[in-house]
Amino acid sequence: MPVHEGVYGLIAEFNTPSELVHATEMAHRAGYRRMECYTPYPVEEAAEALRFHKTGVPLMCLLGGLMGLVTGYGMEVWVNTLGYPLNIAGRPLFSWPAFVIPGYEWTILFAGLSAAFGMLAQNGLPQLYHPLFNAPNFRDGATTDKFFLCLEAHDPKFSATETRVFLEGFSPVSVVEVDH
Amino acid sequence: MSLEHEHHGADLTHGNAGHHGPKTLPSVLTAPAVVGAWRTRAAIVAVIFAVVSLAFFFVPGGKSHLLRAYLMGYMTCFNFCGGALAFLMVQYVSGGKWGQILRRPLEAMTRTIWVVFAMFLPVMFWMKHLYIWAAYPNKAALLDAYKTGHITQEQQLTASSKLTMLSPTSAWVQYLLVLGFMALVITLLNKWSVQRDNDPRAGTLASFDKWRVKFENLSGPSILFYVILMSAFVIVFVKSLDVTWYSSVYGLQFLVAQGYAVLALGILTLILLSRYEPIKTMFRTTEQHDMGKLLFAFVMLNIYLTFAEFLIIWSGNLPDEIPWYLHRIHGGWWYVCSADVICHWLIPFCILLSRDIKRSKSKMIWVTVFMIFARFIDMFWLIEPNFKDAAGNLHLAGNFGILAYITVPVAVVAFWMFFYLTELMRRPLINVNDPHTQELLEPEHAH
Repeated sequence: MPVHEGVYGLIAEFNTPSELVHATEMAHRAGYRRMECYTPYPVEEAAEALRFHKTGVPLMCLLGGLMGLVTGYGMEVWVNTLGYPLNIAGRPLFSWPAFVIPGYEWTILFAGLSAAFGMLAQNGLPQLYHPLFNAPNFRDGATTDKFFLCLEAHDPKFSATETRVFLEGFSPVSVVEVDH
Repeated sequence: MSLEHEHHGADLTHGNAGHHGPKTLPSVLTAPAVVGAWRTRAAIVAVIFAVVSLAFFFVPGGKSHLLRAYLMGYMTCFNFCGGALAFLMVQYVSGGKWGQILRRPLEAMTRTIWVVFAMFLPVMFWMKHLYIWAAYPNKAALLDAYKTGHITQEQQLTASSKLTMLSPTSAWVQYLLVLGFMALVITLLNKWSVQRDNDPRAGTLASFDKWRVKFENLSGPSILFYVILMSAFVIVFVKSLDVTWYSSVYGLQFLVAQGYAVLALGILTLILLSRYEPIKTMFRTTEQHDMGKLLFAFVMLNIYLTFAEFLIIWSGNLPDEIPWYLHRIHGGWWYVCSADVICHWLIPFCILLSRDIKRSKSKMIWVTVFMIFARFIDMFWLIEPNFKDAAGNLHLAGNFGILAYITVPVAVVAFWMFFYLTELMRRPLINVNDPHTQELLEPEHAH
């Protein structure tokens, strides 16, 4: 990973989720795209304001589930009809009702694992360092009762002075410059 | 993908600050005039389908099918009324904003109880045409019927051993007891709901607590009694169409089916009402999403119970139990059975997996309508194969009476819908004296 230097971005602190969502929406309108919201609990409207809701995780979960279904059910079918055929109570070798439960369990297992690992693969965790923790108010408030909007410096529209003025327009508690 | 449909109900015009602040309670809380138009439409549908159904009087086998189809239509209405009561009570005990916005539609469904009470009388008066235990109401009559070849020995023996529960007298007692109990709880819940809004101390913590405890105390035990009594009702009037069969999960299956149907109808009602005030202001995407998830849970629970029942009976393969399924799989019933699994479970399951669809108003209209339609397939599959002429033998030739299953239930449900919509118009659509009301006015992200 290349070493970054200089300003990571400007972070505005808000007391309520409403102010955060409003500021995010306005920043999106103003043309900012490289930005992120940090909230102590999931705020769906903030995610929507960021236009951040489409990830690959649902698809991975679905594909994982289908893979589990095919594997589990297919294995039952193979074992019972070809691999090790047994006469159980005179039933047909392909007794599909009996295979449904293992197929279902494998679906859940694979879907759950795909969702968990897919999420980890996509969100960049585990992450041992993040520049935002350089801001003391972020360290103290982000997981308790404060709502943060960070406009990142690598956004083409970012300007240390104009972006600060823009953020201050929403009367945040503070606007802090964060270094890498 | 476009993000526009994500924003139903959310005001994203940020012309000035404060748009994400709480909304104000609409000044008029009564149902919009359009409900009256829906009610007229329901009445028209009921009349047209009832008139068409009259044709079955002149068709071979038509009369008996009219009564069976009526039972199917009736059970759908019973499920709406009873399921709404169950949801109402569960929400009083558990709380939750989803149930606050759904409360008045649920109350309206429950207040049809007197109609539901009366609608069952045709079944009670003609029960001997439906049930073996009613046609041959005592041991001697059963033995006689066996000797003359009208019933099998198994039917004679099982019906004789079940006479305590399955006899005309006992059926009358259970009919009066079950619907009487429901009527009592429904009357109290509905009466209190109005008194709660008119409480002089409305809006205070003392008032909230007083009513919450009162509703909880009635609802808690009543949920238990309702589940037991409702199970008895469906066992006597639906399961016993096949007097020889046993299934301990039957009542629970109906309970889940009630949740399935009522939630679909409730979401449909709210979405249609959300085009007009006051529901337009009050119905947030968050609650619609929550209800969608709950609906998905019922879709899942329904197949879980249905399949578990099948798997256990299939594994046991006992002569007492397995014919019930054979009658519903062989002789053309496989198509209905497959349609039941596909429409009642597979399609709603796949569709409701999607978050976007659960949050979309226009799409959920179609999903809920389809799910209510799927309930009819399920009830048809449960009821018709119980009869000797249809068991393991689905046929149309010389049996046009079976088409009554299309017209009669529609007429019956439309008739019920007329009363449901009438009741919906009689009260404000929002229960004001409840702390959840204020929460519904808050922006979506204020958890």
